[in-house]
Amino acid sequence: MNEMELLNWVRGPGLNIAVAVFLLGTIWRLFEIYSLGRKQDLSAPRNAAGASGWHTVVRRSMPPPGMLKRSPVSYIGGYAFHIGLAIVVFLFAPHIVLIENLIGLSWPALPSQVVDLAAVVTMAAMVLVLVDRINKPVKRFLSTFEDYFTWAVTFLPVLTGYLAVQHLLLPYTTMLALHILSVEILLVVLPFTKLFHVFTLFASRWYNGNANAHKGVPV
Amino acid sequence: MNRRPTIAEQLARQGISRRAFLKFCAATASLMALPPGMAPAIAEALGKIRRPSVIWLSFQECTGCTESLTRSHSPTVESLIFDMISLDYHHTLQAASGEAAEHAREEAMKEPGYLVLVDGSIPIKDGGIYSTIAGISNLQMLKDTVENAAAVVSIGTCAAFGGIPMANPNPTGAAGVQALMDQGLIARKPVINVPGCPPIPAVITGVLAHYLTFGAIPPLDALGRPLNFYGDSIHDRCYRRPFYDQGKFAKTFDDEGARKGWCLFELGCKGPTTHNACATTKWNDGTSFPIESGHGCIGCSEPNFWDAGSFYKALSAPADPLSFAAGAAVAGAAVGVGMSFMNRAKKSSAKAAHETATLKDLEK
Amino acid sequence: MSGLDNIPVNVEAPAMPFGSGNTGAILAELETSLQTLLTSGKEHSIDLRSLPLLPGELDYLRERLGKGEVQVDVNALGHSTVIETAIRGVWWVTHRNAIDNVMAEFLEVSFCPDIIRAQRDDVRESLETLAALLAGDNHS
Repeated sequence: MNEMELLNWVRGPGLNIAVAVFLLGTIWRLFEIYSLGRKQDLSAPRNAAGASGWHTVVRRSMPPPGMLKRSPVSYIGGYAFHIGLAIVVFLFAPHIVLIENLIGLSWPALPSQVVDLAAVVTMAAMVLVLVDRINKPVKRFLSTFEDYFTWAVTFLPVLTGYLAVQHLLLPYTTMLALHILSVEILLVVLPFTKLFHVFTLFASRWYNGNANAHKGVPV
Repeated sequence: MNRRPTIAEQLARQGISRRAFLKFCAATASLMALPPGMAPAIAEALGKIRRPSVIWLSFQECTGCTESLTRSHSPTVESLIFDMISLDYHHTLQAASGEAAEHAREEAMKEPGYLVLVDGSIPIKDGGIYSTIAGISNLQMLKDTVENAAAVVSIGTCAAFGGIPMANPNPTGAAGVQALMDQGLIARKPVINVPGCPPIPAVITGVLAHYLTFGAIPPLDALGRPLNFYGDSIHDRCYRRPFYDQGKFAKTFDDEGARKGWCLFELGCKGPTTHNACATTKWNDGTSFPIESGHGCIGCSEPNFWDAGSFYKALSAPADPLSFAAGAAVAGAAVGVGMSFMNRAKKSSAKAAHETATLKDLEK
Repeated sequence: MSGLDNIPVNVEAPAMPFGSGNTGAILAELETSLQTLLTSGKEHSIDLRSLPLLPGELDYLRERLGKGEVQVDVNALGHSTVIETAIRGVWWVTHRNAIDNVMAEFLEVSFCPDIIRAQRDDVRESLETLAALLAGDNHS
């Protein structure tokens, strides 16, 4: 298989399979999670200032007082790579073309130099949080294979994309094929790992906030 | 002894001065995409090498490659044929036909070390009956001719990679020259691939001139293409590249972006994955190239370009419609609903199995 | 062959605020080459066909370099012109073939381009020709 055949495969059958697995897994898990249901809480709701699902969504998205100083890498690194990832994924012109082809929506792109910069920041932040995870005994103790695995499948698309655009290491065609392949692996893996937080993060924050607000506790 | 004259001797015989020869070498260096400083080396080489015999074989092709070659301006195909090579067989260009033509080929094959040029792919299915010349199958003719050749130059994407005849479902079992060597169907010889549909005329003559001048295969990429012509992608050498970097794209062929000459990536330009000299050497005596005329690159110098999805679909877009997506979504929903029923059943059976603990139980 | 010159087409450079960036690079290369020519006598030449230039950029370059004092026509395997630019030591060399198509175009940095100079082998031949000529004269 030469690089052109590989590229044709990842752009055709490969993408088809990856998107199918992604949709199947995502819809399955969303149905399953949201149909679980909880026992109705029959106690009288207590009201407290700042206690609601929405409050918690906002509050949990910011570092609690003092935490930024205690673990700056987790917060700053975490934000940098999530925001960087969003910029790279959603504001790079070729990505928008893909999204437009898939679902028909499009929006203006950022200049490629800005996206390049975002990619570098994202990769640096991701390496930083990984090093931190390995260096801090507590974090290392809490980490499982899944943590390293999901880190790798998230990092590879950014790395291969950057190398492709910059023409580094391998010819562009090969690197582009590897980039698309790595994204397809990410799509396949996403519904079945902790990466599913893409869909459940805010809902679970809201749920926790709402349950505690019923008890009059702002969390 | 009837030895072939060197190219310099051939030129001198025509009363061409050293000054003219110098000019010829400078133009040849430019043609071969070599630095101008190479001209003296070319002059020296041309003084030594003999005009080689060339056999041109046309198989499953459209004659577009020959058409392209005859539009070469520098050197003109005439000067190439008369000054640099001895074209002994080319069934489109030669005057002889029928048995006389085949006789010319057999004569040329008597002296080993000739150069074989191939355009068109070779059908190998069903014993190669789908294309024959003078009753000889293409495969047989290629096999016989390559046996004593010094090297093979595959002109055009068909000869290099199979091309349009090989497009899915490939009814004739078409294959390129290199593929036949890899399968052991013909003798293994050095191969230079000069793909393109057709290749740029100056690239065809340039590659030939390079081989003839230096008597060696030029540096090649992984697909056997000369690096001096196929080393860069169209995208990297494209004058519209700055627009790509700025995120300025033509969305249709007649919108404002198209009129302003913005990047054609979204209209399906395959420039980023296509290696060819179009953006620098250009076409029609350096007039322009497809992107300059407002049409994206279709990637014709790359293998399998014919099966790579629509020419008008962006490279980052899926090549084919996602046929499984809707089915997968429905299946996912079904599995999800099934799982939720299972979970409910589990829950209600747990509820049913629930027993109220009494003081007695605790005392057990 | 090419009847393009007969078609009245006026190529306009697209509205590009930045250009290809190659004209600036060419001028910079000429500057360093002139410096080298002065210090070491080493000649240099730039193949204008190997660079991706925008429509109109070649004309822009021609305009920027201007016209100098020398213009040489060479008739060898077709017509060639060697034109000194206003930047002395920089020559615009255009080689045409027998049917007047441009085969190659160079910017050469030298005191005198090689193509103008009589070549040693040709001079040797000239000597023989002249000797034959003189011998013929003496006999008559």
